[in-house]
Parts: sequence; C-alpha cells; structure tokens
Amino acid sequence: MTPMRRLGVRGRDRLIMALLALMTVSWLLAVEGREGIGRDEGQYFRAGERYWGWFEELGENIHEGHWKRSFTPATLDKYWNDNAPDHPVVAKVLYGLSWRLFHRCTCMGPARGLHPIPVKGRHRTIPLFARESTAFRFPAILFAALLVALVFRFARRFVAWPAAAAGAVLMLAQPHYFFHAQIACFDAPITTMAFAVGYAYWKSLRSARWGVITGLVFGVALGTKHNAWLMPFFLGGHYLWMRRGDVLGRGGRRYVTRVPLAFVSMIVLGPLIFFMHWPWLWQAPLQRARTYVKRHLDHEHYNFEYLGRNWNAPVTDPQLKPLRLTAPFVETLLTVPVTTLALAGVGAVVLMRRRRGDGVTPEAELEAPLEDRPDWLRPGVDVDRAPGAFLAVQIFGPLCVIALPATPIFGGVKHFLPAMPYVAVAAAIGLARLVPIVAATLARLRPAVARAVPVTFAALVCLPAVVETRRSHPDGLSHYNMLAGGFAGGASLGMNRQFWGYSVLPMLPWVNANPDNHAMYWHDVIVDALNMYKREGRLAMDVGDTGAARPGIARSSVGILFYEKHWAIYEGWFWDEYGSTRPVYVREREGVPLVTTYERGVQ
Amino acid sequence: MQPPVSPAASRLGLVVAAAIAVLALVETGNALIAPSRAPKDADWEAAAREIRASFRPGDLIVAAPAWADPLMRLHLGDLVPLAVAARFDDARFGRVWEIGQRGAHAPEAARGTVALERRFGALTLRRVERPPAVIVYDFLEHWKELVLTRQQAGRPDVKCPWNGVHFQCADISFNFAELLTVEVDTAIHRGLLAQPVEKATVVMDYPAATLGRDLVVATGLHDVWQRKAGKGIVNLRVVIGGTPAAAVTVTNDSGWQLTHVDTSAYEGRVVDVRFEVTSPAPYQRHFVLAAEARR
Repeated sequence: MTPMRRLGVRGRDRLIMALLALMTVSWLLAVEGREGIGRDEGQYFRAGERYWGWFEELGENIHEGHWKRSFTPATLDKYWNDNAPDHPVVAKVLYGLSWRLFHRCTCMGPARGLHPIPVKGRHRTIPLFARESTAFRFPAILFAALLVALVFRFARRFVAWPAAAAGAVLMLAQPHYFFHAQIACFDAPITTMAFAVGYAYWKSLRSARWGVITGLVFGVALGTKHNAWLMPFFLGGHYLWMRRGDVLGRGGRRYVTRVPLAFVSMIVLGPLIFFMHWPWLWQAPLQRARTYVKRHLDHEHYNFEYLGRNWNAPVTDPQLKPLRLTAPFVETLLTVPVTTLALAGVGAVVLMRRRRGDGVTPEAELEAPLEDRPDWLRPGVDVDRAPGAFLAVQIFGPLCVIALPATPIFGGVKHFLPAMPYVAVAAAIGLARLVPIVAATLARLRPAVARAVPVTFAALVCLPAVVETRRSHPDGLSHYNMLAGGFAGGASLGMNRQFWGYSVLPMLPWVNANPDNHAMYWHDVIVDALNMYKREGRLAMDVGDTGAARPGIARSSVGILFYEKHWAIYEGWFWDEYGSTRPVYVREREGVPLVTTYERGVQ
Repeated sequence: MQPPVSPAASRLGLVVAAAIAVLALVETGNALIAPSRAPKDADWEAAAREIRASFRPGDLIVAAPAWADPLMRLHLGDLVPLAVAARFDDARFGRVWEIGQRGAHAPEAARGTVALERRFGALTLRRVERPPAVIVYDFLEHWKELVLTRQQAGRPDVKCPWNGVHFQCADISFNFAELLTVEVDTAIHRGLLAQPVEKATVVMDYPAATLGRDLVVATGLHDVWQRKAGKGIVNLRVVIGGTPAAAVTVTNDSGWQLTHVDTSAYEGRVVDVRFEVTSPAPYQRHFVLAAEARR
C-alpha cells in the first residue's frame, strides 16, 4: 500500500491542501522583495504599526493598573484615526502584529525617527524576515495560502484531486492576483474572505453548523474590506435561484420558506463583529459607520486608462457607456492566462449541461435532494444546490458591479478579484471533464500512460499560467496575457500600465548613486513608502523629497515620472523646468516604459 | 450519476482536450520567447547612430508605437527639443525618422515616400520624406504681438497689457493669455492659454498676421484635472479682416482639434486675425489655442 493510500481520501486531501499552502507561502515569500511599495501599501504599513502602538500602550497601561486609559476617546483616536474612515482594520492589525513579531530590529539606528510611533527601545522579536516590509506582508501571504487551500477544498466537492489541485494553482498563477497576493493591502485578503464566506454558505446549505460559521466568517470579511457588503446580494441571488421552485410552485403549491440560518447568522454576527473589531467606531458607532459607508459610496473616480481612454468620472455620455461597461470583462479576458480561461469556458459548458440532481462530475457530491421537506437550518437539503448558478453569481456578480457606469474602475482587476477563485474552480471542472476522455482514448493505446493522464494533464494546463506569472513579476499590473500580446500588447491596446508608484523599486540603487539625489522629485511615491525603503536600507537616508506636483519638480535636480495616461501633464512640466526632453534613465519591461528619470542640466 | 459519454461527445471532448493541450504549449512557449523579442539597448543605440549620421535640423524623429517615445528620447532626446516634442502637428517636417517595433507605424510617418528602411535587431528604422508645409506665420512665435482684451456687453473693453510674464486683464486673475507647455487629451503641446470669462468675450487680436492659403487652428482644453472638474463647452470664433471665418466648439473630449480655414483670398496679405473665446460655463475651462498660416 502506498503512503498516499494509507492516508485515506481525507488525509490525502489535507496533505495536498497543506502542500499547496506551503507552496504558495514559499513562492510569494521568495519573490515579494522584488515588488515595490505602492501608495496604498505605504499607508497600511504606517497604520498597522500605529495600531500596534495602541496594543503596546494597552499592555503598559494594564501593567500599571490603568487599563481604562487605553479606552478614552482621545487615546482611541490617537491610534485608530489613522486610515479611517477608509478601511476597517482586520488586515492592518494583522500586518502591525506580524511586523512587531517578526521583523529584524534595526530600530535604534538612523531610521529610528521614521517610525509612525516612538521607538522606545530595541524591539525583541522573532527575526524571521530580513526586511520590515516582509514582516508586514506576511499575513497577506498567509491569506493567499489560505485561499489556495480553500479553492482546492471547494473544488474537491466537484472534481478529483488532480483537477482540484490544478484549480488551486490556477488561482495563484494569475499575474494580477499574484501581484496583489504578496503585498500588505486588502485585495488578496478580501478575495480569501469572500471565497471563505461563499464556501461556508455552500456548506451551510446542508449543514446547520456551517450556517452559524457563515455569519462569523462574514463578520471577519466585513472587517477586511468593503467588498464584503456585496456578498449577501450574490448569495441571495443564488439562494433565490436555488429555491425558485418555492415561488414558481412545486408540487402544485407555492410557499415561502423561512430565512435560512446562514443569512440570519450573517445579519446578526456580521455587524456585531464589524463594530467590535474596529475601535475607531466605538465612540460613535452609527455616525462613524455612516461616514465609512459614505466614503465608499461617494468615492472619487481616480484616473485609469482603459482601451486608450482616460476614465476619471462617472460615465454620462450614452455613446461611452457601452464601452465603459465592457471594462471588467475585457480586463478579465486580457489578464487571466488564456488556458485558464479556456478551461473555465469548458467548465461553464459542463455546468450548464448538467441535469438537475446530477453531480457535476462522476467524482462530485450528489446534488439530488437528500430530504423531501424544506429546512431553514439546511436550506439546500431538499433541492438541487445549483452549483452552476452559484459559480455564475460569484463570477459575474463582482464583474457586473464594476461594469456599472457610476462605479470607479481605478483599481482595475483588483476590484473584482473575488470572482477569480470561482473562475479557477470552473477551470478545474472543465479539466475534470476532459481528463477521462483523454484517459479513455489513451487507455486503448497505452494503458500505462492513461493512468498518468490526470496528473500530467493537470500539470500541463498549469504550466502556461505559472510561466506567465513568473514572467510578469514584479510588474503584474503592467502584464497582459497572450491574447493582448503581453506587456507591449497591453500598452498598444491602451490598457492601464500601473498605479500608485510601486514600480520604482529597481531604480533605487541608481537613485542612491546619483550625486544630486538630495533634491529628488518622487512623483507618485508616497512618503510612507520612502520611509520604509530607508528603514530597510534600500534607500539612502540622505535622499531628499522635494514635494508634490510642479513646485516639487521646480525645486528638484532629479525626478521620476510614472507612465500612466493622466500623468502626461507632469512630463510637460519636466520639459519646461529642466529645459530638456531627454530622460537619463527609463525603467522598462519588454520595451514598455514604466518609469522615466529626468536630471536637470542634461541635454 | 453522469450519463455515459456518447462517441460523438467523446470525439468532441478529445478535440477540445487536444486544443487545450496545444493552447497550453503555445502559451507557455510564447511566455518564454516573448521577452527576448523586445528591442534591446544595442538595437536602440544602433538605430540612433544611423539617425545621427544623417540627421538634419528640422527633421522629426518618432517612435512607433507611441508608448516607446521615452526610450527614443533616451537615445535621441538632444535632437528632439521641446518645440518638436510638443509640436503643433507633423506638417512642417519634410523628413520623418520612424523607429518602429512589432510592425507598428507612426501616424506622423504615414505621408510621403520611404527613402530609407533598415532593421536594427527588433527595431525597424524608416525615413519618410515629403514636401513640408511652409509656415508663413506662426501665431505662437508672434504671441507677444497680440492684443488681448475682454469685452462685455454694456461695458467698456478691458485692456490687458503685458506684465512681463503674460498679458493680464484687470480685475480677474485668471483672465490672461500666455504661451505655455500644455497637456491636451493627455498629450503635450505648446499653446496660448486663455481662459474664458463668464458673460464676456476674451479677444486675442493679431493686428498684422501674414496669411497663406491655409490657416490651421488648433484648440483644446488643458489639464486633466481641470477637464475632470469642469464640464462646460468653449466656443472660438475666428475673424479675419473683420469677417467671421470659422467657429469651433471645444469640449472635454475634443482633444487637440485642428480646424482648417481656407484663406486663399488673403494669400500673401497682412491682415487682422482675431480669436474670440466665449463659454456659457467657463468654470475650470483652461482653453488653449495655437495657429499656423501655411502657404
């Protein structure tokens, strides 16, 4: 008996989940250091460390017997005002905690003053990571690992383990997701949490225990990012479809079932956890929660390039609305590896052709009703759970929200990443459908070869995604797939090349060596990112920052410019202020300029 | 239970599986090979050497696709001064050097005959030659000769004298005209910035402009942030020798709009040319104008 067989199916699946998670953590940790710090991540580093400051002070206050001091309005706001009302704090607290636990402390050195909270002494830590930013990023990487494991686990409900494992790999090996999966932001964590909520809900259809868990997971999702607000709508859409027989009439009579436990749990536990987890809310819960909600409902439309146009406002022109509507769909089509998309297409056909009550594949859980009577504790027990509809709402729900003309599109793919795990599951289903056909054909020719088909074919379809993702790094935002023509094809199509200044990192050695770097103009690199580069020793301490916009360029001797469509005006300012159109250094990927450096006096 | 797979479905499945396997291999190969197809520094340096050997003042150098322009300027930026990089259009350039890649061509090199074509690695260098437009009067070169006034119904005209930087009208700080490097439709140009004023006409008068057969007027709205903030249209009326000759409406989406005015009747004559700027909603309307009289 082989060791895998001795483990049994459950044990083997758990082992594979663990290996997939370990692979994810290893891959992301191995490469994250090459990815620069964007505007958002710099702020979350700062906020995470400041939130840690509150816990640190709480510890001191408890030690001194004055724990109430940490809960005064002034103390709460001193720490928790940071990055409020923008985002709740689950992820940021984890980032701060991870930094405090795992960074290698050089905090008493020259960068001591660059911390957002006073450094009172050398930190005693478990110095797992050489760079502080890695310590901040570690929880995000763990979120990604959890997602990959969950995708495998969910896909296993429908397909055999090789296809499920392929689905998990195809989730991670998407260049844009991979970019976001390794940084201390919220897009990868909320993708994990959205999938976790969906998974828990799916389980809750036939398990009351999971109904309660759904609410708990939803509460954590609400504390991760505001995408969570949309989850009930998607789940509700599936629920209504699944139970459409109640409304349409089943067995000659119509009836209304009770609201299922999962939704009750979400309604009760979700807000409870949300309000409890965010100390900034505690002083005026409703008023501040309203401020938070309004912040996102009224969010500014930042500039973003799509198909050669700069989009920065709600679309009102009827002629432009159809084009704008296509954004999330075209972005998906041009960023997800093509083989993954093709497999997902096969999976969609499989799901659409499935007969009610059948499993998705021969290996899948049965969808036939287990009982005759409806049960609000297990609302999927007496009906087919409609897995195709479930995947459809989870994939098209996030995309359709971004497709609305009034929704900002500045985040590009990151704002609808929660759709991607389900694309990967659909790809796994597509793969699982093809494998037995190939195996049966080969079995007639070479039976021994046929036995290797599931694993070999799974590895084959993962290969392009892995190679493409490796190619894209560390510039995943600039990367487009084979349909678009890669980096260059994306640029030619007028697709967004980058945002928020992360791509400067490979230029820092050049900046450090430049004798005029004391008067450096940094364009879109936020001061928090500069501070972190200096704290980590990647940027010399005496490198200057001349400030923002044209006055910043006017004061500078050297300056950088990120290529995004709307930044063209800055290039004109450089030409005016420096008296030359000639850059001294252009950072490019496969011939596509990402960042340009100008130097005063160079003709 | 799954229904048994029919032979036809099995054949179709096999075709799909084979197609996906081929797709996976092609996509993998593409991802591995594509990076090496990008132009290298040596390609750019070789193309730049070739251009420098035959470059003449007044030549235009462009990159195709346009997104490669910064790399072109990295190697040849000393031959692309501000006036050329922020050009009105390409009509005045008789020789255009196009450094192309991946089969792309620049619109600036679309007219004329190809006098030279050479490959340098992943780059293709072409020199296109054509008769250049002859500029008899460049309104930007003569911008300090303009007379700026603000006219409002029922009020005396407001004179806008030169203040050492630009022509500034009294009472309204943003009511001025100045030659600036501007951004219109996310491209850089040189133009006269003259913001419209509510319930008034801003008049830029060139009392002694020499005209040819064609007057080309470029218009647009400067500054991506102002285009985001404001929505109003801007109207331009071109008056030649006291006779209205053209009217242009400028919106956020007009881009760098070129309007040709037939001036054959005035060819070789020195006449008064007025540009009258109005707007029903002038908030954040950073109107820009440039013009060339061509033979």
